[in-house]
Amino acid sequence: MMHCTMDDLLALQAGEASGWARKHLETCAVCRAELDILYQRVAQLKALPGLRAPRDRWPAVRAVVLAGRDRRRRVWRAGTLAAAAALAGVLLLRPWGTDLEGQLVQAQQRSATLESTLQQVGGGGDGRVMSGREAALASALEDRIAAIDGQLAERQAEELEALNLWRQRADLMQQLVQVRVTRANYVGL
Amino acid sequence: MTISLTVPDVLVARAKTGDLEALEALYRAFEAPVYNLARRMLRNAEDAEDVLQETFLEVVRSIGQYRGEGHLWGWIRQIAATKALMRIRREQVREAEVFDEAIMAGRAGHNVGQALDLERAMQELSDTGRAVVWLHDVEGYTHEEIAEMMGKSVSFSKSQLARAHTKLRRTLGAGMEVG
Repeated sequence: MMHCTMDDLLALQAGEASGWARKHLETCAVCRAELDILYQRVAQLKALPGLRAPRDRWPAVRAVVLAGRDRRRRVWRAGTLAAAAALAGVLLLRPWGTDLEGQLVQAQQRSATLESTLQQVGGGGDGRVMSGREAALASALEDRIAAIDGQLAERQAEELEALNLWRQRADLMQQLVQVRVTRANYVGL
Repeated sequence: MTISLTVPDVLVARAKTGDLEALEALYRAFEAPVYNLARRMLRNAEDAEDVLQETFLEVVRSIGQYRGEGHLWGWIRQIAATKALMRIRREQVREAEVFDEAIMAGRAGHNVGQALDLERAMQELSDTGRAVVWLHDVEGYTHEEIAEMMGKSVSFSKSQLARAHTKLRRTLGAGMEVG
C-alpha cells in the first residue's frame, strides 16, 4: 500500500493536499499517525525555550555607530568648504533670474551665515564639555546635516528639491547654533 | 517562542533622530528574540552573535526608513532573518550537505531516537534546512516569503522543508515524538 510522503503530509498540514492524499488519510491509520507526529514536532519546535546571547554586543554596536558619526562629521566639515565655494561661485557668476533661483540662493546664504555663526561659537566639534543630552542633540543634528550634504553632493537635485534640502539644512543649522549658543551662554563663554 | 514585544512610539521617534539611549533601549528590547532567531537558524553561537550585531547596525542605519507600518518586531525580524540567510549562503561554500549526509549515514541503523532531543536533531540538519524549518514552522513565514529572502524558488523552499522534516523524523524516531 502506498503511503503519504513528507511532501503530502506537509501539504495536508497546510490544507493544500491533493485529493488522493486527503482520501488516503481517511483510510490509513499509519499516515494519520505520521501527520500527528508532524503536528507534534512543529508544536515542540514552537515550545523550545528562548535563547539569550552569552555576550552583550551593544558596546560593539555603539562603538561602530560612534565611529561612523565621527567619520560623517569629518566629511561634513569638508563638505561645508565645498558648499561655501559653490555659493561664492553662484553669487559671483550667476545673477538669478527666477524666484526659485533667488529663494535657493537665499537658503544657501542663510545656511552659510548660520554656519559661520556656528564656527564663532565653537560649533566645529572643538571638544568642549557638553551634557549628555546636549551632545546627543548636537550629534543628531550634525548627522542630519551630514545626510543632507550627502544628498546634495551625490546627485544633481532639481531646483525645487535643492531648495527644500537647503532650507532643511538651514533650519537644522539654526537648531545647532541654538544648542551651541545656549551652552556658550551657560558656561559664560 | 512567542513574541509580543511592543515599544512606545516615542522611543522609536527618538531612535530615528539617532538618540543613543533610545537605540540602546531598542537593542535591549529585541536582543533576545533576534539572537534566538539567529541561533535557531545557524549552527553555532558565535555566528548568531555576529548576526545580532549586524542586525542592530542595520537597524541603526535604517530606522529612519521604518514607517511604522506593521509591528516593529516584524521589521527587525526581517532584517535578522536576511542577515542569517546571508551568512548561511557564505558558509555554504565550505560547509556542506556532505557533512549533514555523513552524520545521517554514520547513524544509519543505530537507534538514536530516544537519545537525541529536538534541539540536537535540529543541529544535525543542513544549514538551509534548519533555517527553512525555523522560518516556516516557528516564525510563520510562507514559502513565498522564504523563497524571496533566499533568492530561490517556492518549490526549493518546500522541498527543503520536506527534506528537513524527513530527517527530523528519522533522527528523532516515532517513540519520542508520539510519547
